[in-house]
Amino acid sequence: MMTTLRTRRAGDGAATLLMVVPAVAVFAAMLVVPVVLAFYLSLTDWDGYSARPHLVGAANYARLFGDPAMRHAAVVTLLVAVVGTAGMNLLGLGFAVLVNGASRANRLMRVVLFYPHVLSALVVGFLWSAILGTTGAVNSLVTAHGGAVLPFLSDPTWALVTMIAVLVWAGFGVNVVLYLAGLQAVPRALVEAARIDGASRRQVFRHVTLPALGPVVTVNLVLSLVTLLKTYDLVVSLTGGGPAGQTQTAAYLILWNSFHDNRLGLGSAQSVVLMVVTAVLALAVTRVRRRGELAVFS
Amino acid sequence: MAVGLTMTDARTGAETAAADSARAGRRVARRHGPPRLLFLGAVALFMLTPLYVLVVNAFKPQQQILAHPFGLPVGTLTTRYLSRALHNGQFDLVRGYAVTILFVVAVNVLSIVLAGPVAYVVARSPRRRYRVLLLTFLAGTFIPSQVLVIPVVYVLKALGLMGTIRGFVLFETALTLPFSVFLYAGYIGTIPATLDQAAAVDGAGRLRTFWKIIFPLMKPVVATMVILNTFSVWNDFVNPQIILGPGSGLYTVTTGVYAAVSQYATDYTVVFPTLLLAIAPLLVFFVIMQRHIISGLTAGATKG
Repeated sequence: MMTTLRTRRAGDGAATLLMVVPAVAVFAAMLVVPVVLAFYLSLTDWDGYSARPHLVGAANYARLFGDPAMRHAAVVTLLVAVVGTAGMNLLGLGFAVLVNGASRANRLMRVVLFYPHVLSALVVGFLWSAILGTTGAVNSLVTAHGGAVLPFLSDPTWALVTMIAVLVWAGFGVNVVLYLAGLQAVPRALVEAARIDGASRRQVFRHVTLPALGPVVTVNLVLSLVTLLKTYDLVVSLTGGGPAGQTQTAAYLILWNSFHDNRLGLGSAQSVVLMVVTAVLALAVTRVRRRGELAVFS
Repeated sequence: MAVGLTMTDARTGAETAAADSARAGRRVARRHGPPRLLFLGAVALFMLTPLYVLVVNAFKPQQQILAHPFGLPVGTLTTRYLSRALHNGQFDLVRGYAVTILFVVAVNVLSIVLAGPVAYVVARSPRRRYRVLLLTFLAGTFIPSQVLVIPVVYVLKALGLMGTIRGFVLFETALTLPFSVFLYAGYIGTIPATLDQAAAVDGAGRLRTFWKIIFPLMKPVVATMVILNTFSVWNDFVNPQIILGPGSGLYTVTTGVYAAVSQYATDYTVVFPTLLLAIAPLLVFFVIMQRHIISGLTAGATKG
């Protein structure tokens, strides 16, 4: 009995290898090696062509922190991420509460709120720029009624606000769905007990539902933050980084430096920094939220 | 039952305290009455307006678009621009569909063939090395693809795969692996191992057991991953733009839209029809399968 089992296992060795090795090889070659390479390339002057890039030490990092364009992009990226995260989550939670329930209107509404997420960010950007651009749909209407052109995309401040608004429009449907799943997991008994004790709906929401949603809130915040920190496609199609480079995000500059200016070493240094900042922010949010959750329950 | 209880509760409140009853009444009205529906209707209108603008203007000439951007294309309805967009000089949209569908199918098939078996081994083996392997794959879900694209260019050049379909499909597939393995292994864990043993008694090897016995039971989780991968490959812009490059002459729907629209951003007879044709297939797919797609994409969104 023992021997047959053992021979079977030995015989299966080749089959098992055949099942494991291809996936591991692709994973290693396309994900693990590149992550390690990103750190190495960030210390070189690689131009995308030469087979042997030269080591330049920390020069890329020094340049990155000294360049005003990159500092501006960092500020824009953080603004997009923080304001966008707040917007997506306030709207996400608000609409989740509003459309919670199995009625036909609610189900329809969820689809309507979610559908922009299905579209590629590139198309969303082109579409909104056709609507809000200087000769776009809204401005055609405004000027036809004698109004002045609204600079949705041509004024730096307006353009940034427009970009964040479009990002929220396109993305908060996911937050709605996630918060809905969270709301449905809140024990009904808890809510009803509070209602019987005479709590108002608002009090129930504030003191029962919201604390019970704790972990879902954390997931949503981290998710929005991580997604928004790498905003790229929408910048390309909505503003093209303009006007005058004022809406360039970090990801936009990374790809611009790398593939327009052929400075892939510099681009690598930027992506390493972006990766570290993303990880730190995500961890910080999780940390703060966890402390908050404990405070609520204690 | 539960609903009945809240209703009774509200009614008792109304009988005991007049002020409270008024407030409760208003609250119920706000949640279920016309004001709430009106508000939701207004929001729905706002959400759908861009789609409406896209659809009506795809059938209008430029003058009509500029004069009445929100008007229906009555009298001037034409499909001329739509058919022109299908075979644009910058890029052939029909060919773009074909190339993109080819990529979607190739990535999905390769992803299942690679991730399925390894997930099965990981899920069924108590060995420590496979637990470490699963954790390594899981760590892969946290890598942002923006960080990867530069060094991947380096790797693909070293392998001689830069600018090729094979290189692109390989990288897109690799991006799907971490989450697929994680999701599949979790799902296989819920399938009783007695099934494997029965198959083994009948003389089936490990590979056969997986593909003939276990894989057919994985339909729901495979469907989730296929939906997720289909949308991420179809909508991907950065990776095809950089890995395939403009030199290869290979356009996906997104890189083709970029080539066609970014140069003629104010010629709305190019912009609207091209964008409409670019999103129509996925939008139709979404409307038909919305429930599965919403849950699939939401599962995917939380992976990061």
